Amino acid sequence: MGTVHARSLDPLPMQGPELGVQADDMDLGEPEQEEKQEVLENKDVVVQHVHIDGLGRTKEDILTYEVADVFRAKNLIDVMKKSHEARQKLLRLGIFRHVEVVIDTTEGADALPNGLDVTFEVKELRRMTGSYNTMVGNNEGSMVLGLKLPNVFGRAEKLTFQFSYGTKETSYGLSFFKPQPGHFERNFSINLYKVTGQFPWSSLRETDRGVSTEFSFPIWRTNHTLKWEGVWRELGCLARTASFSVREESGHSLKNSLSNTVELAGYTGGDVSFLKEDFEIQLNKTLFWDSVLSTSLWGGMLLPLGDKPSSIADRFYLGGPTSVRGYSMYSIGPQSEGDYLGGEAFWAGGLHLYTPLPFRPGRGGFGELFRTHFFLNAGNLCNLNYGEGPRAHLSKLAECIRWSYGAGIVLRLGNIARLELNYCIPMGVQSGDRICDGVQFGAGIRFL
Amino acid sequence: MSLAAEAFVSQIAAAEPWPEKATLYQPLKEDQILLSDSASSLAVQTFLRMCGLPVQVSCCANAEYMSPSGKVPFIHVGNQVVSELGPIVQFIKAKGHSLSDGLDDVQRAEMKAYMELVNNMLLTAELYIQWCDDYTATEISRPRYSSPYSWPLNHILAYQKQWEVRRKMNAIGWSGKSLEQVYEDVSQCCQALSQRLGTQPYFFNKQPTELDALVFGHLFTILTTQLTNDELAEKVKSYTNLLSFCHRIDQTYFKEHDRESQVS
Repeated sequence: MGTVHARSLDPLPMQGPELGVQADDMDLGEPEQEEKQEVLENKDVVVQHVHIDGLGRTKEDILTYEVADVFRAKNLIDVMKKSHEARQKLLRLGIFRHVEVVIDTTEGADALPNGLDVTFEVKELRRMTGSYNTMVGNNEGSMVLGLKLPNVFGRAEKLTFQFSYGTKETSYGLSFFKPQPGHFERNFSINLYKVTGQFPWSSLRETDRGVSTEFSFPIWRTNHTLKWEGVWRELGCLARTASFSVREESGHSLKNSLSNTVELAGYTGGDVSFLKEDFEIQLNKTLFWDSVLSTSLWGGMLLPLGDKPSSIADRFYLGGPTSVRGYSMYSIGPQSEGDYLGGEAFWAGGLHLYTPLPFRPGRGGFGELFRTHFFLNAGNLCNLNYGEGPRAHLSKLAECIRWSYGAGIVLRLGNIARLELNYCIPMGVQSGDRICDGVQFGAGIRFL
Repeated sequence: MSLAAEAFVSQIAAAEPWPEKATLYQPLKEDQILLSDSASSLAVQTFLRMCGLPVQVSCCANAEYMSPSGKVPFIHVGNQVVSELGPIVQFIKAKGHSLSDGLDDVQRAEMKAYMELVNNMLLTAELYIQWCDDYTATEISRPRYSSPYSWPLNHILAYQKQWEVRRKMNAIGWSGKSLEQVYEDVSQCCQALSQRLGTQPYFFNKQPTELDALVFGHLFTILTTQLTNDELAEKVKSYTNLLSFCHRIDQTYFKEHDRESQVS
């Protein structure tokens, strides 16, 4: 009885000849508008078959879960809606380049008069994609090679490999991801990596070689990740002039930890043991004239277990264009001869007012990416001498608060990153902190 | 460091007097330290005692990684960190203390030659016995070296160190030697030292020098360390003047000194 093509969910007119329903194809009588509407909207349909065409290495059993819902559709609008949802679900598996939906009437011996066939025409991603980049920066050049194998064994498993070979350091990572068939949100991944980092604010160099397994699962409305990680950590001095406190931390250690959003290290082995928590809260409120008031609060605490003191690589750091502005990168808190050692507890808060640029240049286009920004940041970082009770800890964090205020311009890059150029006035500076008063530039993803 | 930087640093160092809180760092004494490191550490401690400079000995599991050159022992004086006997002697000299001032040029050259002999023969033999002899490596060196770390890091670090030492032995041509040949070399080295010492109290007659400290450090450690067998100690014991030399220095600089400081 005619053909209906449904492609994605482009807005479809409910009447008129674009539907491809030809008057001479119809077996029914008068081609009246009302009757056509009745055919399409209110007529009961039954989805008899759902096909998926174009499968190569993908195994069908994982796909049946994603398209199962389509069978439950009762009328044509429902079929189109559920097909669209099924298409989204198939795309989120990350194994298809594109998915097209074709809805047709059933043909053949067992065809019902109101039966429909839904076909998903899919194109799988290539077996292996690679990328090659060269990066230059900070007196170092490196070559980065990436390999991605989506859908390795046919059930949406993904294998990625990245290798970076530089003039100073080499790092690599291998990662395997497998979702549970039918419940994509429940998945696990295994990672193997070697990562090196240089931290000039502490004159510290760190090399981590580790293996980690992560389990993700949704509980009610939240998504939880349980991660086990084993890391062989090697610390060293970045320069001959590193302070002795940093020199004392040089050497090898093994960190074995379990984390949810809370990290517990040391109970399953290794020689580094601690309990670490940190949190971030952000609240935004739109005010008049398209301006937004935003407040955020960060905090964290590191509790060493046993009698070993905490390691410099596990402690928290504060300060810089992405946290308390007006201070140099990670340059707040305990330090020794200019090397910042981090602290075991911190808090930081920010109050921001974002407004569109004055006189709104480039309104509706490029100018929308910019905002002017007035801010007030405060924070504190210190070590805690445990055993003195929570009141003493709170008062320690409340004394000698560093804070700053200022204004500047923010540029939004995509939906992820931000560039900021601010004029900052730091206050409450303690001896040992390094400040960056005046103009400060910041680029990053996570800002206070 | 460049020549100019070295000169600058030694000038700065010379300006400061020897502080009260000078510290010498070495690996853990009971469980971790090996023969070669113990010998080097004892040599430095003896040298400092001979100069009359007080130093505290601090044992850290990560002393080898803390050291700027990767070798132990190293001393932390004021805010300077210096490792190994050679640079430490230079550093002390810049502060105005020296044991070899009384020597003329010929004697000084001779002293340097004998110190090289000890480093190239005795120290290398110690390293060979520790890491290239499978039995000693399995029974003593690897377990001790990796004792402060947990599994599996302990095995990784121990094998890494073993490969590093074996590569070094390859490079200097010692990998072809057998254990017997190494013991022979030790014996010859001791013979040379014994001949030079003769009947004198110290190598350069009345006054001890850094050579005495170095020889004492190695020989005393060999005599007092328990290895898988006693062959190494026996080679040293066969030279009686070396034995009495060790005994004498131990008495003068360690036992009596400690007794004095206890009394005072």
